[in-house]
Amino acid sequence: MSRVGVKVTLTSGRTLLQGRTLEEGKLTDAYRDAVSYVELDGATLDALGIEPGSLVEVETIYGSVVVTAKKSRGEEPGIAFMPCGPYANTVTSDDTQETGMPSFKSIEAQVFKADASTISDIEKFVGGNP
Amino acid sequence: MTEAEKVFTDVPCTFCGCLCDDIEVEVNDGKIVGIKNGCAICKSRFLKHHENRLEHPSIMKDGEQSSVSLDEAVSKAVEIIASARRLLIYGLSSTENDAHREAYKIAELAGGVVDNTSSVCHGPTILGVQESGEAAGALAEVRNRADLVIYWGSNPLAAHPRHISRYTRVAGEYIKDPKKDRKIWLVDIRKSETARTVDKFIKLQPGTDLEVISSLRALLRGHRLAVDEVGGIPVSELQEAVDAMKNAKYGILFFGLGLTQSKGRFRNIDAAVRLIQDLNSYTKWNMMPMRGHYNVSGANKTSTWQTGYPYAVDFARGYPRYQPGEYTAVDLLARGEVDAMLNIAADPAAHFPKACLKTLSQIPIINIDPKENMTSRLATVNIPVAVAGIECDGAAVRMDGLPLYLHKIIDPPEGVLPDRDVLGMIYKKLEKEVKK
Repeated sequence: MSRVGVKVTLTSGRTLLQGRTLEEGKLTDAYRDAVSYVELDGATLDALGIEPGSLVEVETIYGSVVVTAKKSRGEEPGIAFMPCGPYANTVTSDDTQETGMPSFKSIEAQVFKADASTISDIEKFVGGNP
Repeated sequence: MTEAEKVFTDVPCTFCGCLCDDIEVEVNDGKIVGIKNGCAICKSRFLKHHENRLEHPSIMKDGEQSSVSLDEAVSKAVEIIASARRLLIYGLSSTENDAHREAYKIAELAGGVVDNTSSVCHGPTILGVQESGEAAGALAEVRNRADLVIYWGSNPLAAHPRHISRYTRVAGEYIKDPKKDRKIWLVDIRKSETARTVDKFIKLQPGTDLEVISSLRALLRGHRLAVDEVGGIPVSELQEAVDAMKNAKYGILFFGLGLTQSKGRFRNIDAAVRLIQDLNSYTKWNMMPMRGHYNVSGANKTSTWQTGYPYAVDFARGYPRYQPGEYTAVDLLARGEVDAMLNIAADPAAHFPKACLKTLSQIPIINIDPKENMTSRLATVNIPVAVAGIECDGAAVRMDGLPLYLHKIIDPPEGVLPDRDVLGMIYKKLEKEVKK
């Protein structure tokens, strides 16, 4: 059976909780929870047939990652937001266009209902083989 | 609650580029027990500074970190640096200025590259400014004078939580009623938390910042646009925006990573600088980057003072050369060009794209940081240090360029030194090694 995905523009950025928890410690569960989700609008959640809190796979040409889906407050179809951090970086680009700055924003992505039963293992990212 | 034994006032918070210097820190029995005036992140920084610390200097042996003395860790660090052919020194934005000086000395002595975290935040801002000029002004000027404030590609409620309450939604000398006398706009691709607090939210399509800014410039110069909308914004709305900007008495454009990390990067900033220049033909306008790390602005300044360049500096030829895209950390790591890294007060393993992690996992890393993080898990050498602004003093630079003195509030854990002292030890030992 082919997978049904939704095309989105993925952007990453800061959140208050990401800031608070990184000050507690980068290896804490609180930090992991604060950076391992994607915000999607209601229509996208409906199209995927999932509820907020379900796991989704975010896929770009640079990689894929399984994170928790949250409903965005802004309700903007087509926009997916991930807090900056190791999960978002799995699907963002190292192409700096000769400026030093990677492509952390406005990345074409697809979101699928995840087959996995847990979010991606952060430990594997550090080894470079997520 | 018992009364605090000692209260430190006017303490700068060392989290974001606001460097809010009105924090009250309550100390009991050598521990921080209370914070007043700080935001949620500030409270976390001060009250939880002792949690998840790197407890001892350590060296990776057989895949495990084993505790060693500080001297042993420094010796190992020097061994790695001395044998490296292409050393990358990275970080610096979350430590104080004196530590920067020692890092530049090591870079020069080792013939390495020294880059700071601005290469992945406002590096494009610096490139844009180098193209078109720098607007400068103080945050106090904004508070006292600005009647039109624009946040562009920035979400201050998440990243700079007190920026609005300290500088833009607050009364000033010529702004008696900040809700009536001052308008705040947000331009962004999504309705962030900040969108709900501003007077006007302008939504643009992702990656269209350059087109929108260029259109604003064209309209300001009296040109007619042959389209109905730009970046999803009707031209009539852009014209209204231009009219309001032109009629402001003092306007300020605060811009974030929505501009620097998006398509166009430094060209977005270049265009924004030129828009501000154009507006100054009619009225007073200024612009300011929303700097993230508390001393990333300082890292750019100290790097410029010491090496001549703000970031991405290579000493391989014995003198400093500057080339973003070549000597920037992400490019060097993604291309696998470096064979050792000295990481100071940053966590590249958590914040760099996946392609960089492969190199990070293959090269020796000397990690100097107060806390455990993803980079410390990979590091060959870890050296714990004091938290600047809490456990040692120093100087840092606010987003508007104002240098502030950081206080020492409490003692660091026993045997733990400031970054500057650890880096000074590495430099002295490396100097002897190089002379052999």
